[in-house]
Amino acid sequence: MSKDAFVDAGLYLPQTGRIVAIEQCTVNEKFFRLELTRPLQHRPGQFVMVTVPGMGECAISITCGPREDNILEMVIRRVGNITAVLHGLEVGDTLGIRGPYGAGFDLEEFYQRDVLIVAGGLGLVPLRSLLLPMIAAHQRFGAITIITGARSPAETLFRHELADWREKENVRIIELVDSTDHYQWDGEVGMVTAPIGSLVLDKNRTMVVLCGPPVMYKFVLLELEAHHQIPATQIFVDLERRMRCGVGKCGHCQINQAYCCQDGPVFRYSDIQNYPEGLA
Amino acid sequence: MGSYLATEEQVSTWLHLLAKERDLFWPRSVGQFNYSFLPLGERDEICFDRYLPTIVPPGRRLLPDDETLFTSQQGDDRLSHYLPPQPSAPMVLAGVRPCDLKGITQLDTVMAAAPADPYYHQRRVNTVIIAMNCLAPCDSRCFCSAVGALGAQDGADVFLTLLAEGVLVESLSARGDEILVKASFSLCEDGKERRLVAEGTRPLPFGRELAVVPEALPEMLRKGYESPVYHRYGERCYSCGTCNLVCPTCYCFEVRDEMSLDGFSGRRSRTWDSCMIPAFAEVAGPHNFRAEVGERQRHRLKRKFEYLPERFGLGSFCVGCGRCGRQCTANIDILNMVNDIAVEVGGGS
Repeated sequence: MSKDAFVDAGLYLPQTGRIVAIEQCTVNEKFFRLELTRPLQHRPGQFVMVTVPGMGECAISITCGPREDNILEMVIRRVGNITAVLHGLEVGDTLGIRGPYGAGFDLEEFYQRDVLIVAGGLGLVPLRSLLLPMIAAHQRFGAITIITGARSPAETLFRHELADWREKENVRIIELVDSTDHYQWDGEVGMVTAPIGSLVLDKNRTMVVLCGPPVMYKFVLLELEAHHQIPATQIFVDLERRMRCGVGKCGHCQINQAYCCQDGPVFRYSDIQNYPEGLA
Repeated sequence: MGSYLATEEQVSTWLHLLAKERDLFWPRSVGQFNYSFLPLGERDEICFDRYLPTIVPPGRRLLPDDETLFTSQQGDDRLSHYLPPQPSAPMVLAGVRPCDLKGITQLDTVMAAAPADPYYHQRRVNTVIIAMNCLAPCDSRCFCSAVGALGAQDGADVFLTLLAEGVLVESLSARGDEILVKASFSLCEDGKERRLVAEGTRPLPFGRELAVVPEALPEMLRKGYESPVYHRYGERCYSCGTCNLVCPTCYCFEVRDEMSLDGFSGRRSRTWDSCMIPAFAEVAGPHNFRAEVGERQRHRLKRKFEYLPERFGLGSFCVGCGRCGRQCTANIDILNMVNDIAVEVGGGS
């Protein structure tokens, strides 16, 4: 082992982030805004490792777009021990943050292209980091179509922002719920796969981005293949795996040949379509 | 980088001398049949006879279980301050067999891949390795020759070979020269030639054999992805993870936080983990990406023979030490599994 290879002694040490805002998004999801000690300098689609002192660490996707200041935004579902404690925190409390990690998106690759975003469940949370800069510079893109799906109206996220984005002339938004569950609902009812067949997409200039629960990818890809034949090089999938270190060492997030934390979590579909574990 | 010839007694005296300066680990007999790399004490005798591979490979000393990643302390400002662990002390790993030596160089590469693991790196640059040649298979589980580990010398600072006329001591690095200054061995001009002659007496085949050449394994395993062999072995697997814990090239870890009783200080550590444990690839939902035991066996096997070799370009990550089969309660042997797949896929000779 070479003695002079670059080694960051602080690889496993978090920086401190102070919570400056919390919003309850749904019954299970909370929005957190943190002020860090230095700018995160992340790309869309990257994630951070969040430490709750004394409790543990987990991977959380970044939901804000790239920014110059020290702000980090996340939407966190209460699902396990660490996230349960996170949900009990208040403004002024601090967390440990490592990262950003992962490959992320290259926004420039989407310039002048039509874009189709399909987000199921919490899928909109990481994809918001891509959508915010995209909407802010919407003239640089062709038609932007966003399909979002939630189990019920009570579980929908970012509806106010979606309403604002819809005002842009080249943005179309299709909001779906699996069932209205007796709530008022002004969107559509059905699965995120339902509208895909009737979309008009130019397969040569459309970029597709998918993020959602594991079961979603296969069916959306089947619909895309059946109706639009968009090349796999123009499709991105944002995947979830168990991540313990974030830096390609702990082995938990491996997907056949790939490490989700380093090679992903955003993958070009053509890079992983031959990996049997990819969309399992 | 000279060669020397010494008696076992001289080598033993030299090792004890080194052990006074820093921790020196040598395989010591524990219980009736087993060996363990333990610190060499003043009165400990050194056994140069053939010994079985230790239960836990020596490379694990570089990536110890329950290693501190940081300690945390809440200050008067109510902020948590994260402090790196104390640097580890220099050590000598002595009596490292070629299979384990190759395992260590594989770990070196994995841990040096960007971003490099700082704690492994710190330990490794402070570790001197004295390797011990193998002239006969250690037992009926051995297949180091089949996976190209038998000839490993890379990573060693000093290389020992037991010859009929004494112990051949070869220095392979500047650090090797440095620790040999304290020895009073007689120079041996034709060390390499003598070693080659000794190696020429090795039995052929040396240990068990693979049904295919190692280079053909990745392709064969891709073809056999859906092989029922994994599930057949999986049927008797207890998912206990022992195979991973004793493997020289397994390095996966789980991360754990503990809080002190005062409520203000704590510690994060990493512990050895195993891809055979059902929860290894589980995410919230819950969804498990390798829920079936056969899928986990496949993952373990493909990491050794396909994923890691292709990612790091270093050949087989299985070094043929035979530990996983030797320690498995259900007698699941990785070489048998590979060879069964070879027969089934038709890649076998």
